[in-house]
This record gives sequence, structure tokens and C-alpha cells, in this order.
Amino acid sequence: MKRNVDPITLAVVRGVLETTQREMTLTLEKTARSSVFNVAHDYSNAIFNHRPEMILQGQDIPIHLGSMIPAMKFVAQYFEDGIHEGDVIYHNDPVNMGSHILDCCMYKPVFYQGELVFWTVCKGHVTDIGGPVPAGYNPDAKEIYAEGLRIPPVKFWDKGVMRKDVVNFYLANVRSRRDQEGDLRAQLGAVTVGERNLIALLDKYGVQTVRDCIDELMDMADRHMREIIRSVPDGTYAASAVLEDAGHGFGDITISASVTIEGDECAIAISSPPQIPYFINSYEGNSISGVYLGLMMFTQVDPPYNEGLYRCIRVDLGPKGTLVNAQEPAPHVNCTTTPMETLADAVRLALEKAAPERAVGSWGHASGINIAGFDARNNEEYVTMVLASLISGAGATAHMDGWHACGPQCCFGALTSGDVEILEYSYPIVIHRYGLVQDSGGAGKYRGGCATEWEVEPIGHEMTVISFGEGRKYPSIGANGARSHMIDSKLARIDLKAGEKVTETLRKNVVLQIQDGQRVSAINPGGGGWGSPFEREPERVADDVRNGFVSFEAARQDYGVAVSEEDFSVLVEETRQLRAHAI
Amino acid sequence: MTQRYRIGIDTGGTFTDFVLADDSGRTWLFKVESTPERPTQALAEGFRQIQATLGIGPADLLAATELAVNGTTIALNALIQHAGAKVGLLATAGHEDSLEIRLGQKEQGYRYDPTYPPPRMLVERFLRRPVRERIVGDGSILTPLNENDVVEACTFFREQGVEAVAISYVWSSINPFHEQRTAEIVRELLPGVYVSVGSDVLPQIREYTRTSTAVLNAYLGPCIERYVKEVDGFFAEYGAAARLRYFQSNGGMASMEAFARKAVYAVNSGPAAAPRAGTFVARPLGLEKIITVDMGGTSFDVALCHSGRTNIAKNVDFLRYRLGIPVIQVEMLGAGGGSIASVDRYGMLHVGPRSAGVAPGPACYRRGGELPTVTDANVVLGYLNPQALLAGRLPIDAEAARKAVAEHIAAPLGVSVDKAAYGVFRVVNSNMVAGIRRVSVERGYDPRDFSLVAAGGATGAHITALAREIGIRSVLVPKLASGLCAFGQVLSDVKYSYMAACPARLDERTDFLRIEWMFQDLEAEGIRRLQREGFSDEDIRIERSLDIRYVGQIHECTVPAGMGRLAPEMLPLLRSRFDRIHQRLFTYCEPDSPLEIVNLESTLYGVTPEFKVAPHDDSGADDDPVIAHRQVHLGQGDAAVPMTVPVYDGTRIRCGQAILGPALIEEPTTTILLEEGWQAVLEPNGVYRLTDQWVRSV
Repeated sequence: MKRNVDPITLAVVRGVLETTQREMTLTLEKTARSSVFNVAHDYSNAIFNHRPEMILQGQDIPIHLGSMIPAMKFVAQYFEDGIHEGDVIYHNDPVNMGSHILDCCMYKPVFYQGELVFWTVCKGHVTDIGGPVPAGYNPDAKEIYAEGLRIPPVKFWDKGVMRKDVVNFYLANVRSRRDQEGDLRAQLGAVTVGERNLIALLDKYGVQTVRDCIDELMDMADRHMREIIRSVPDGTYAASAVLEDAGHGFGDITISASVTIEGDECAIAISSPPQIPYFINSYEGNSISGVYLGLMMFTQVDPPYNEGLYRCIRVDLGPKGTLVNAQEPAPHVNCTTTPMETLADAVRLALEKAAPERAVGSWGHASGINIAGFDARNNEEYVTMVLASLISGAGATAHMDGWHACGPQCCFGALTSGDVEILEYSYPIVIHRYGLVQDSGGAGKYRGGCATEWEVEPIGHEMTVISFGEGRKYPSIGANGARSHMIDSKLARIDLKAGEKVTETLRKNVVLQIQDGQRVSAINPGGGGWGSPFEREPERVADDVRNGFVSFEAARQDYGVAVSEEDFSVLVEETRQLRAHAI
Repeated sequence: MTQRYRIGIDTGGTFTDFVLADDSGRTWLFKVESTPERPTQALAEGFRQIQATLGIGPADLLAATELAVNGTTIALNALIQHAGAKVGLLATAGHEDSLEIRLGQKEQGYRYDPTYPPPRMLVERFLRRPVRERIVGDGSILTPLNENDVVEACTFFREQGVEAVAISYVWSSINPFHEQRTAEIVRELLPGVYVSVGSDVLPQIREYTRTSTAVLNAYLGPCIERYVKEVDGFFAEYGAAARLRYFQSNGGMASMEAFARKAVYAVNSGPAAAPRAGTFVARPLGLEKIITVDMGGTSFDVALCHSGRTNIAKNVDFLRYRLGIPVIQVEMLGAGGGSIASVDRYGMLHVGPRSAGVAPGPACYRRGGELPTVTDANVVLGYLNPQALLAGRLPIDAEAARKAVAEHIAAPLGVSVDKAAYGVFRVVNSNMVAGIRRVSVERGYDPRDFSLVAAGGATGAHITALAREIGIRSVLVPKLASGLCAFGQVLSDVKYSYMAACPARLDERTDFLRIEWMFQDLEAEGIRRLQREGFSDEDIRIERSLDIRYVGQIHECTVPAGMGRLAPEMLPLLRSRFDRIHQRLFTYCEPDSPLEIVNLESTLYGVTPEFKVAPHDDSGADDDPVIAHRQVHLGQGDAAVPMTVPVYDGTRIRCGQAILGPALIEEPTTTILLEEGWQAVLEPNGVYRLTDQWVRSV
């Protein structure tokens, strides 16, 4: 189907769409009040057309974006013909395609000359969504109803008029109302900026030309994806990934993916055990995000990014009532990290079997801490998720080592940790260490990126430390033959310390109370490697040793390379023997 | 000889521009090719050209020069080519990796690109040495400085041949004692090594930004030191009367010593002069809101200026390195005349960021370049003279331009050569519009309220199309456009920025006296420096500002705090200023929310005498400045339509004469394309004033 699109106008329209998404993002970042928005950048923006298909997927948080596609369709269908100029709709319901209840999404229909032409959409992780536990993560919830507020599609603005009663109903049910009001205003700013830019675009080129260009961009994305799928040999490829029991007592959980490639079409079927009464179940929308992330990690397709990418992809999440196709009343709040990252791994691993050289190593999964206590400096209780404690290593690719300090996988480099001084200014703590962890990157021809370690001590009070996540039992999975011998240093863990001395190492999710003089060190996982570590040039290994990314011991054990302790040169003969011996 | 001169020398990537101004207000522009390997070579060539035109040799000229300024891309090039110094970093033990952690982020735009590497570290990890010491947020010492760690690190640095040492400890902005003591030890043990201290270069909160800035300073320091030595030597050879000054990225000049000590201020200094020059040419025409657009050979630089004030950027990523110092916000895009156009394997047309630069250059230069550039497209479209540019000194091969566009753009897109060239023109314009939005829309300004001021030789061909694309109806193109930054330099003042971290609530209980003392401390140092450089008290001007935010926010707004004593009476004024700025930038304000101060800053100016431009001498003008008619392809919607337009010789245009588009005006160093509906009038100050006469449809 070749429509008559001027290639130059196409390039210009594409540029305007990208600029629009950028300006939506900036508006949100600068005006938001809660730190999850403005420090951590835990938000995502997208643009949909009238059908509604996602015509521009921003490169924000992957976990937000996949679920937006079905969620947008659900929201539009819900109101049918009842959508009017000036409406603004809010939604977070996981049961109906939302991600988790903390990710609240705003939808603004854009009208042009009386006709619905676009939707501008902005999803962000709010500070709190009500329920028994501040910040929303309630490990004791046995049902979704015990986790917080579910928001089915609801109009916050109706034909341009704010529905005060409805907005108030929402705000009355969540904590830190003032921040929440600010964040709501920031989201409204973002979708409005998007609307304004799109109308200017239509003024300039007219509806038909813009539509043709957008359809062409979607066809282009479709062609890109099909081209890659076609290059993968036909067949069915299956793999599974194991999600460790991080303390919930239900045991390790296996998630399997089966990928069937036929020509330029790809069918992905997932199977997982029955859902459990613990908050790591994933509803359909969130699981689609996980599948798409695994797919994107494998295909590494060039932009433009839009719904056209997924036309040749079929997804089957398995029967309702299973872990990754949960149904009411499964609790779910942790789903955006656990099991989403394991689900993405299963898909990626199945695809790797089809084309190992294309694969990338897994990124370190989310493993971090929340801290809470009383700040005597201003007589206030504080509670916060420490984003700096989540910054893990990225997976290596077929081209290069993984980025250090770039994860977790579910955020794919979009998260920001904030400065040590800013955190010490905001909370009564001393951060003794924020550094890279030696030997944490998975071994490979290309090494996985190093994890980070974040070590904290409370000042003048008792502090509660809550650990969450996983990656403390199984290391990030490498790609294309990557493997490590020294596993322990690649895992996440929590070290409890008295001064500099480690008193206890924890590998489960726990709640701790610590005093002055005690420290907690949150160590997260490194990224997976790519290719056999024995193929890594010995000089590069020696260079890693000189720079402390790899120890002398790991150089021998993981890479079969002996490095001189005198001058960091490669000991050639010994290296030859080490490598010959291992084969 | 009684004539006195000012000279501005802007050393760009492609050309070095000389602007000479005398005290009767006359100005001259000279252009020579840059010689990055040997900077004094281009200087010598420039002075030769001046002598050839005006008959004054370098020694006489410099003896009569009261102000000589040099803006240089040397630091920029060192950073782009990773050719800076070998740096060692001393950091608080446990915090050596902040540079490499980069707050945990990967840049937007490359998230799924498996080949996109992390930024090259300016200090390798084994050269980042831990020092046991710790100061906490209230400035108190938790762990005293372990001097032995410093000594051992110095021994190691010596063995490794380190050329510069950066020192950056956590909370040094509140208590610099440990850093200062460390610097003493390093200077003693490693004489001749460049030392860069975090609390000296950027005394502000945020250790990642401060460390990165201190490291950049160390990385660039030695090469700037070598550069100023060489250039100063060149000037000293001719017995220059006035010391050469250097132009900084904060938009002001610095002495040689200050420039070398805070080398990081050199990082993107050239384009920072444009707002000053833009304001200077716009003011006499009653225009106070301007956006300067500078399209050179390799890049497109945009800056915004409002009533003489420019956007200041702090805490930005420059070439992927976090830079904390206050600099003029210049958005730099890879969209110059030399930017290469290409069609990717999916059939998408792209322009830049790759550039053909001077070598191999655009295809039409016939210097080995075979890929089509923006300049080639403009030649194909007839916008540029198909025989030669730069008043005949730069020959053009129009056929080579046509061939490059035909092969690499027209054929893969399946369109005509003219349409392909027009596509390149449109796509590069659309990229430039994105740059203009970054300095305007993203900073809370509507660009349509502004006038565009063209700088750079390549801008004139794009300026009317660009203005119309963004809805701007007023454009200025100075005859000096192609050397506008060099001109801005001779108009500028000496400018030093002093900062201090000062975290405190801003309300009735604020200790204003303490803050006043902090300001006075900073200013005392600056005043001494300016006095040493020969400025009298009445030529020294001080501007204060405070970085303020709502309690709990992460981003601050910089609020001007006047020049006078800080007192509690100013509280309502600061409050309302802050709320207003917040409203403009972020679309809302909260007049009832508590405020906090984060940093304070004093900017000290050594003011140079005002320059008065002489009325443009149009005695060489005649009644018929049209020298030719040329076929060009002008845009109408998606298509480019052939049309024959008059070509005016700019040197023969009379002041006040109105020229109607479509038309071309050829000046010796720039060509202006007036699209249909535009009118140009040459103003007495040597500036073409362009106005869009088309009635705007709503």
C-alpha cells in the first residue's frame, strides 16, 4: 500500500512529533513536585491518532509504554461517542490495561475543526495512591483492594470544565495532597502542550497530509520490524527464566516464553504458574509491556517508534488467573519490576535461541531500599524510595560492554538517581559510599556493566530500611555464550554493617531498624555479558583490572587471563595455559 | 597617528574573523581560514589582510589598539577530539565514581541503540584516588583529612605522568577547608601540574556537577595555558600596548591569568558573544527582544536576549559532560553549511549532524568533498552565487553541487534534483526551528514576540524561510553578520562570576546580614582582581543573584537580587520576582509556599567604554544596485518553483531603500535570500531590516 506522501514533508512531520513529545516531557519534569517525577523521571508521554493507535512512543520508561497501547483503546471504547473537546480522562486500573495503580495516566483528546484527531497521553508514577502503606507498596495485601485506589476511566475535566467533585474525591483518597495536586497540574500541562503543538501542525499541513505522513511512519516502523523478524530463521523457540523467591515463601517461579517465527510474523506465547496472594502478579497491560521490552531488547530496531512496530507480533499471555495474566482480586503493585523483568528475560532468551548473535545481555533487575524515619531538623516524618539504590549495570551487546550504572532493566536508563548532597540535605543521613562494584559485571567477550553500591547511616535517629526487588540469587543472564564463574559478586545483596564491618548479609526482602553507627549497604546486580569471556582480548581484561572493574582473581576465573600485579600487563604464557585448560 | 582601535578576533572551526573598529565608529571585517594546528598562523594572516586593506602594519596597529579580544574554539576542539590533559582526581573515599555513574542515566534518544557508547571518561578510573575525609551538610568535619592519602596519590600521579589534578570532595562547597589543604599539598609535591579545585571552580551544592566541572577545568587547563602563552607571545612580539583579553562562555572577557586558571569558562566561548552584538544592532531600531541565529560551517548556534539579558544555563550537559558554571545558553545544533545530507536505508532524509567541515568541505568547493551539504543544496537552488563566494575568493562549482545532490538525495528519493535540494533546505530549517524553540518556548518565551538577528555567513540564505516557519515577522541581517561574534567581543565587558553555596530558608527569620557578608566576601576578591587589571571603581559594576526554589523542589530559579545591600525589606520583592519567574518558566506559581535559597552568585563587570557606530557610508551607492537576474527555486508548499529574481549588490544599496522579495542581496561575506512577501530596508547602522509583509492568516 503506497500512499502519495512527500518524503520531505514526512521528515518535517516526524521532527515535529518528536519535538512535541520532548516538550511534553520537559513540562512534566520541570513542574512536577514529587521526587519520583522530578528527580527520578518516572513518567512517560505518547501521542495517539484518532483510531486510536500510538503514533509516537517516547523513549521514556518501557514499562509504561507497552500497556498504554491497549489502555488507550480501552479508555476510548469506554466512553464510545461521549468524548468531547476539552475532556481530560484519568485512569490507572490494572484490571483494565493499566500498569500498576501508582502509574496514573492522563488522556486528552485533541479536536480539530470539531473532529477528534489525536490523543495526547501522559503517564506518571505518583507519590502515593492511598491504601494502608505510604507510597503504595503493601507486601501484606492479599487482594488488589487492599493496595490502594483503583481509578477506572473517569473524566477529570468535562468539555473544558474541571469536575471539582471528582478531582476532590481522588485527592481525598491519597497522601501528600499538595504534591499530588502539583503533579496533576504538571500532567495537565504536558498533555496541553502536546495538544497545542499538534494543532499548529494541522494548521500548517492540513489533516489529510498529516494523517498520510503518520500512516507512512507507522508503515515504516512495521517494515523495520518485519525486516528483522524475516531475518530470523522460521521455527519455534522456547526458553524460561526463573524468578527467585525473595522472601515471600511461595518458592521460585518459572516463567516460560515460546516464540514462533513464520516469515515476517512472530507469535509470542507465555506460560506462568497460577497467581499467588502476594503483590507480584501482573495483569494484562503490564505483561504486554514486559513482552514488548524483551522484544525491543532483542530487535534493537531503529526509530521511528510507534504502534506499527507491533503489527506483526501476536501475544498470548496464557490463561487468566496465572501470574502474568492475573485476574481480580490478585494483588499486583510490585509488578512493574517483579515479575516484569523476568518476563522480559524469558522473551529475550527465547528470541536469543533463534539468533544468538543479535541478543543482548540482561540488565540488572530492580533491587533497592526504601528508608523512613523522623527528621529532627524540621520535626517531620520522612519516607522515600531511594532511587540511587536501584542503579544497576546494563547488559553487554554484540558491539560493546554494558554501560555501568544504568539499570534497572525495567527503566532502561531512563531513571535518575540524584546527587548525594541533595539526598543528605533532604534526609538526616550520611551516604558513605556511592560507587561501582568490582566484579559485578557479567563476564563475556563484552562485559556487563558494573552495579552500584549505596551505603547509608542515619544521623541522630532510628531509621527503618525496607528492601525490595530481587536479583540476589540468580545473576543477570548473559547472551550468546556469556558465563561467569564468580557468581557471588554479580548478585545483589544488602549488607548490614557496624561502622565499616559487615555484620550480616541479607538476600531477602526484609524490614530493618538501624541506629547511628550502623549502616546499610544496598548492592544491586551488574549486567549480563555477551559472548564467551575467553574470547575477550586479554589486554582489555588487563585494562579492566587496572581500573578495578575486575579483580585479579576474577580475571583468572572468569576470563582465563593472568594479569601481572606489578604493572597490569598480561602474563601471556600463563594466560594461554589458563584458556587452554578451560576448553 | 591619533586613531585608536579595538580588535575582536573570533577563532572558529572554519574561519577566523577579525573585526576592527576605530574610535570614529567605523568597522571592518576580515576573514581568514583557521589554522587549528598553529593558531598564530591565522593571526598573522589576518594582520596581513588588514595591512593590505588599510595600510597599517601589525606593530603600528597594536600600538594604537586599546582593546584586543580573542574568542577561541580551542577548548571546544580539545573536548570534541578528546585531546585534553591526562587528569588525576582526588575524591572523598567512597565517592570516586560519581563521574562514571552520571546519576545513573543514559541519554534520551539512544535507549535502544546497542552501539551507543557511554561518554568517554575524562579521568580513567585508576587515576581517581580515594582520600579519607568527610564533611557533612552543616559543614562540620565527620572524618578529618588523611593527608597521607593525598601524599600517596601524588606519588602515584607523578609516576603516571599526570598533567592536571582535580580535587573534589563531598560538601566542599559548604566547607572548603579539606580541599584547600589538599591543593596546598598537591602544589608542593607536583610543581608545574595544573590544579583544579571543586570549591574554587564551582562552589555550589551537587557533588556530581561540581566534580564534573572541576574535572573539565583540569582537562582543558593545560591546553588553554599553552594556547594563551603562544598567542600572548605573538602579540608581545609586536609590542602590543594593551594586553590581549580572552572571551568566555559567560559572555564576558577575562584576563590571560583568569582565563587559564578557570579554563572551563573557555568551553564554548565564541557564540556567547552573539547576544551582545545582536542587542547592539537591534537597540537603535527599538527592538529589545532578539534571538541570534548563527549558522556557520559546521554548527548552528542559537541564543535569546531580552532587554539586554540573556538566558543563562547552569547544570547542563555539554557534549555529554555535566557543566555547572553559569554560561550563556547557546543551543548548538549540527546544522551548518557543511552539514551533510543523506537518505537512510528506509528512505528518510536526514541533514547533519555529520559535517564535511572545511576539509573535505561541500562538494561545490572542489576540495575533495563528494557528499551533498546544505551549501550544495543552496547552490543548486540558486540561493548562493554559482560562480564564487566571499567576494570572488571562494570559487564554486555548481555542477559538482548538482551531481552530489542528484546522486545521494534525488536518486534514492526518486525526485528531481531541484526538489531534493529543496528538501535538504526544508529539513535543515526544520532542525533549526527545533533549536530556536529550545531557547524560547522551553524557557517560557513565545518566539513570535522576538526578532531574529542573523550571524554567520550561511544564515542569510535561510533566514526568511526560518522566520516564516516559526512565525517571526521581523529579522535583522547586519552587513557584519558573518563576523558578528567577533564584533560582539569588542563591545563586551570583563566579566567574572563568583558563587557560594548558601542553603537557607527564605523568610522573616533569614539571617540577611550573614548573606550580605557572604556577598561582600565574594565581591572583595573580584574588585581586587578588576583593580589589578586597571579598572577604576566607577568602571566596576556588580550584579547579584540568588538561586531560589519552593521548599521540596529540585530545580532552582535564578532571581536577580539587585546591586545594593541585601536587607529584610527586600523579602517581598524577592518573593514576587521568584513567583513571576516560576510562572513564566513553569506556567504556575504558588505565592503561599515557603521558599529556600540554595546558592548565591555575584557577577562583577569591568566596564569598557561604550562603542558608537558611525552611520553607514553609502556614498558608493547608486540608483540601480541590481547586478543580475538569476533563476532560483522558491518554496510553494511542498514544491520548489523556478522563478527569476533580481540580484542586488549590497555594497551599492542606499540607506532607506526598500527591496522587495523575491530577491537576493549579495554582500561580500553573506548572501540574503528574501522570499516572497519579505521587504528589506538598509538602516543607517548598517543593518538590513527585514519585515514579513504577508498578512497572517489566523
